[in-house]
Amino acid sequence: MKKRLLVLVLVLVLAFSGIASAQESYTIGVSNNFVGSEWRTQMVKQIEDAAAEIEELYGIEIELVIESTDTDVSGQVQQIQNLLNRGVDAIIVNPGDQTGLNLAIEEATDEGVIVIAVDQEIGAEGALNVVIDQKEWAKISMEWLAEELGGEGNIVLIEGFVGHPANEARMAGVEEVLAEYPDIEVIGRESGMWDQATGQQVMSDFLASLTDIDGVWTQDGMAQGAMTAIMTADLENPPIAVGEARASFLQTWNETLMENPDFATIGVVNPPGIGASGLRVAIELLRGAELNEDALSGPFGNTLYVPIPYAVTNDNLEDVYEAQNIGEAAGSYTLDGIITQEGAIKLIAGEELTEMDVTPDVGEPEVEGMDMGMDEEAEESSSD
Amino acid sequence: MNQAKFRRFLARNSYLFALLLLVVVVLINYSRQDNLFEPSVLNRNIRVFLPLVILAAGQAIVIIGGGIDLSVGAMVSLCNALLVTWITPETAGGDILLAITLVALVGMAAGLLNGIAVAYLRLQPIVTTYATSFIFAGLALTILPRPGGELPRDMTRLYRRLIEVDAFGNIPIIQDIPILREIPPAFIVIAIVLLLWAFVRQTRLVQYIYAAGDNAEAAYTTGIPVQRIRLGTYVISGFFSAMAALALTMSLGSGSPTSGDAMTLDSIVAVVLGGTRLRGGQGGIAGAMMGVVILGVIRNIISFYDVPTWSQTLVDALIILIALAGPGLVRYISDLIRRYRLQGGRAA
Repeated sequence: MKKRLLVLVLVLVLAFSGIASAQESYTIGVSNNFVGSEWRTQMVKQIEDAAAEIEELYGIEIELVIESTDTDVSGQVQQIQNLLNRGVDAIIVNPGDQTGLNLAIEEATDEGVIVIAVDQEIGAEGALNVVIDQKEWAKISMEWLAEELGGEGNIVLIEGFVGHPANEARMAGVEEVLAEYPDIEVIGRESGMWDQATGQQVMSDFLASLTDIDGVWTQDGMAQGAMTAIMTADLENPPIAVGEARASFLQTWNETLMENPDFATIGVVNPPGIGASGLRVAIELLRGAELNEDALSGPFGNTLYVPIPYAVTNDNLEDVYEAQNIGEAAGSYTLDGIITQEGAIKLIAGEELTEMDVTPDVGEPEVEGMDMGMDEEAEESSSD
Repeated sequence: MNQAKFRRFLARNSYLFALLLLVVVVLINYSRQDNLFEPSVLNRNIRVFLPLVILAAGQAIVIIGGGIDLSVGAMVSLCNALLVTWITPETAGGDILLAITLVALVGMAAGLLNGIAVAYLRLQPIVTTYATSFIFAGLALTILPRPGGELPRDMTRLYRRLIEVDAFGNIPIIQDIPILREIPPAFIVIAIVLLLWAFVRQTRLVQYIYAAGDNAEAAYTTGIPVQRIRLGTYVISGFFSAMAALALTMSLGSGSPTSGDAMTLDSIVAVVLGGTRLRGGQGGIAGAMMGVVILGVIRNIISFYDVPTWSQTLVDALIILIALAGPGLVRYISDLIRRYRLQGGRAA
């Protein structure tokens, strides 16, 4: 017994001296204010995986300090302050408020800490946003819905958390598209709080109170719920609904197609791996990469846009299904897209990213035969 | 001190358990975070806690008076929305004071609505204030549909920056204690609230609040204006909500129509942690204010002890539950011991 204890102590001493002697080591804080979503769970998981991968790639030490609890703005401010008090080198934050975190973040950047806001754009001074263009993201599915409806009809909108930056950007995108289709009328708009059950509830309420819904626009997390509500209602002419790129949704979609080949929906990938992409950018900046100011854009002029991975429609559902083995995937898995370390270097330098710079999943090889590449997507969105 | 005296001492100083708990959690926190007592770190912590500290003080007064206020969070949201609507970065000093005064009046008016419904219409406090919370939340959404707004920089700085004190400048020992040279503004606010409370605690009016909460009927028959006292507690809570909103707004520098919503339950948990029982008539605001700091420090502990991501919420809830159960557990165990002794005595 005593011997075992001695061995244990020795191992610990060795381990600690190992840490002490490591030549390059970074402490990275992560602040997440919303735990109730599978998307956020995957985001945190991808950050952990990416950190391990980068450690191996560069032979460096990365200590992750993850603050992840359901909390309000003050709580997230406390998260960021705790990270600062721990002396982190960089903070990856998924901001839960458009402006409320700005003072806390500015304090961090004043102290020389690199702050990367992922998923949602904010205007805090000194912070860098690494996000997909949420506005464009929403426009893709709204555009699709408008085309499917032939440019006319009544639609309902189910939005996420009102006031969260991503939701605001998306709804702005939806309104932009709707401005081009004057014959489409919005007859209902409600928040489903990015939650499947709430999305289902909201859609059920819409179906009960409105009899002439032709189309449904919603966002990830809630589309599955909305779809369940529509199917449960068993209508003669069910409305056309926007979907999401989550495995469980794709599975339902696939089954429905077998019974009803006319069924159509769309799932635009909103990658949870954006957190990992943010980590990759942070590491490059910590290692001395020079940020090309010309690469920055966005509403606050401090954003590096990661390309929107792709959209799933009836045309490529089968390909995606096979390539990513969706039939076997856990229902909670969301189709992803993370930039490679090479991609992060290019992003910072302001160079064009190619298909090769984004992986469907951390550590997994590029999936062959995916014909919906980045370039195509980029062209599509720039032609809007 | 004999047992009966000791019990009376405990009952009169209901915050003692909270104080003990506070010392324990702060020490646990400190064991992992050695910069905890640095002025800047202390300041960062306490300025985040302050809005809830103020809110819980108001909640405590309502609960002592025999009620409960489930609308405090919504009142904070409403006042926060009003503050960022009325104050912009260009607003001059005088107009800022005017806006703050107006917001305080709005908070008191909201409390008045609660008070009339509870004290004069005799509606159940829980249901009433839950219902009015939707009125206040709805108003907040109407006034500020989307988060935004900005305060003048000087105003947020006033709240965030340490205050340098020269008074102790050359006194040996004291001049080496950093926190006495640089004081977080939030400490001053807390000190003022506590001093005011100590000042009014023995006045007849505050004694009436305790009496009304302890036994309303008995209080009524002894000539205490129970209805007016109840009404008053809700108005005070409304005022404290407005002040909490001011602190929150200065802390965040911006507004959101849902900014205070999550604070309601936390304020009640803090009051109970602070030794005030929900049935009223007993307790105090000092304990409630400590309760808030305890809640905040628990979150720090979770952070500094590297609790795995997936169990942070669970651990947070478990620690709070244990803390809440603490006094009850102590009582239960001491009862067990006494009963055991009594039985032992009979056997012998």
